[in-house]
Amino acid sequence: MKYALSHVIDTLDGLVWAASADGLVDFVNRRWLEYTGFGIEQARGQGWQKAIHEEDLPALLADGAASRSSSEPHDTEVRMRRFDGEYRWFLIRALPMTDAAGEVVGWCGLNIDIEDRRRAEQGLRERERELGELLDRIPGFVATADAQGRHDFSSKRTLAYTRRTLEQNRGLGFIGSLRPEEQEQVKQLWLRCVAHGEAMDVVHQMRRYDGVYRWFHTRVEPFRDESGQIVRWYGLLTDIDDQRKAEDALHQREQELSAAMQVATLAQLSASIAHEISQPLSGILTNASTGLRMLSGESPNVEGALETARRTIRDAHRAAEVIARLRALFAQKNGATEAVDLNEAIREVITLLRSQIQAGSVNLRTEFHDDLPTVVGDRIQLQQVILNLLVNAIEAMSEIDDRPRQLLVRTERENGDRVRFSVQDSGFGLPADAVDRFFEAFYTTKPGGMGIGLSVSRSIIERHHGKLWASANDGPGAQFSFSIPISPPGMASGPDPDTETTPATTDAVRPSRNS
Amino acid sequence: MVVRKLVSIVDDDESVRESLPDLLREFGFDVQAFSSAEEFLLSDHVGQTRCLILDIAMPGMTGPDLQRELKRKRWAIPIVFITANRDDRVRPQLIEQGAVDCLLKPFTETALLTAVNAALSQS
Repeated sequence: MKYALSHVIDTLDGLVWAASADGLVDFVNRRWLEYTGFGIEQARGQGWQKAIHEEDLPALLADGAASRSSSEPHDTEVRMRRFDGEYRWFLIRALPMTDAAGEVVGWCGLNIDIEDRRRAEQGLRERERELGELLDRIPGFVATADAQGRHDFSSKRTLAYTRRTLEQNRGLGFIGSLRPEEQEQVKQLWLRCVAHGEAMDVVHQMRRYDGVYRWFHTRVEPFRDESGQIVRWYGLLTDIDDQRKAEDALHQREQELSAAMQVATLAQLSASIAHEISQPLSGILTNASTGLRMLSGESPNVEGALETARRTIRDAHRAAEVIARLRALFAQKNGATEAVDLNEAIREVITLLRSQIQAGSVNLRTEFHDDLPTVVGDRIQLQQVILNLLVNAIEAMSEIDDRPRQLLVRTERENGDRVRFSVQDSGFGLPADAVDRFFEAFYTTKPGGMGIGLSVSRSIIERHHGKLWASANDGPGAQFSFSIPISPPGMASGPDPDTETTPATTDAVRPSRNS
Repeated sequence: MVVRKLVSIVDDDESVRESLPDLLREFGFDVQAFSSAEEFLLSDHVGQTRCLILDIAMPGMTGPDLQRELKRKRWAIPIVFITANRDDRVRPQLIEQGAVDCLLKPFTETALLTAVNAALSQS
């Protein structure tokens, strides 16, 4: 041997020691002495115990006693004081030394410095705790599932909201927290997404611990490894209940405003309606009276009476037509979407306004695009907008006496498959300070106006994916126009080649808003 | 031969021009109908007209415009206005300007006859 065994032991990167069968230390290596700063005499017997942190010593002594009685090795983690007074964590591994007969004749051990490993482990635990806290602090619910789509983790908030345990939710158990009538639908959607590896995007209701269902928007996306294989699914559930309720309230408000506009428009129209119906009624009354007189004389004038009867029937038809038009304009339910011939819709409105146009000494000119494509929309609502804009234009000219009262109604085809309606008047124009406020609800420049017409008109046009705007004329007066697409977005012909890569979406559980 | 008194009608509504003359003829009047105030003024019946039945709202010259024009020309023709528009402010104004009556369409033959007779008693 070129070197002594003690040289090996002193060189080993660890603190080596040996003790008698009854546990009294009789050897430590040089590194042990260097680390502790002890002399060999200080370490012998039980002296080494002074190098062990006092909090860790009882456990170490207990492990040593247990090993001596069982003759089994033990591993114990303790803090050992370095020569400079600093403590570091060590793993003490004690092993029995036996003779040929198997009797324990002594103990030897290796103390390994595990301070860096302990620190790393502690750092990892802290990061895990921080991550957990972060997940729990996100104002939304986080959930994960394994590659097969089996739910395996929820953040604390999720569990607290539902007051369900992870065990209850595990796998597909989470479906049980949804509204019973939505459960099957959401489950099938989820299974489909997992099968196709598609993200899921769904609006649904989820039961709170107190039994109240709230609306949630849930998005779940797959996480893939480098080879593209799905490893896990990550989901975020956002409580949108307040937002939904606000939207519903807004929608309700719009409908109320729309109803109020109908009433207001009806009031404005009543003069026209009275005129339209009084004319034929007047004819009926006069002709019937005449006919009676022609027949009741000494020599009845049958020819004349027949003529008056024919006129009576014709006038009655006229009155019935007026009523039919009114019924179509006001009594039909909202929300019916159809192909609307805008020119025809405008002609109907103009017919109703004929007497108002005449009484206001308004010179009406129409420029209709001959080949205007139909638009998909709600004819009644569009006619209300047209009516509103025409009535506004007529009223804007009611006090104009120094120039002709001219009304130009025009339809045009725009680029990008849109059609435009515009009405141009020679009235008082747009007050500069008011132009931004025109479309606000309850803003009006008219003494008797309710100020809801333009704001409701704009919301109707926006629901048709169009826009409504006002502009000043070169000369006197103003122009109001709207422009709407021929077919609303999403109704374009032919399937969209991109649909396969977009997230599967279902909104079937919320009521349709296509009004 | 009895000379029938001439009642003239000015109304842009064709159904009034075809129905009202027949009724007035049944009452025993001579009748002329015109579709506009301008047409009436240009006709040679203005002088013989004993009663003018006049619509209020018409394109171009309105009923009240014609009333003022006749007054300016000192043609003292009694006027019975007829209108389909109920506007309670208009009637007193027209009567103050000298109209005999203002009938709201639809009106009965009795109302018409009463108004026409009132007009004829003035002329």
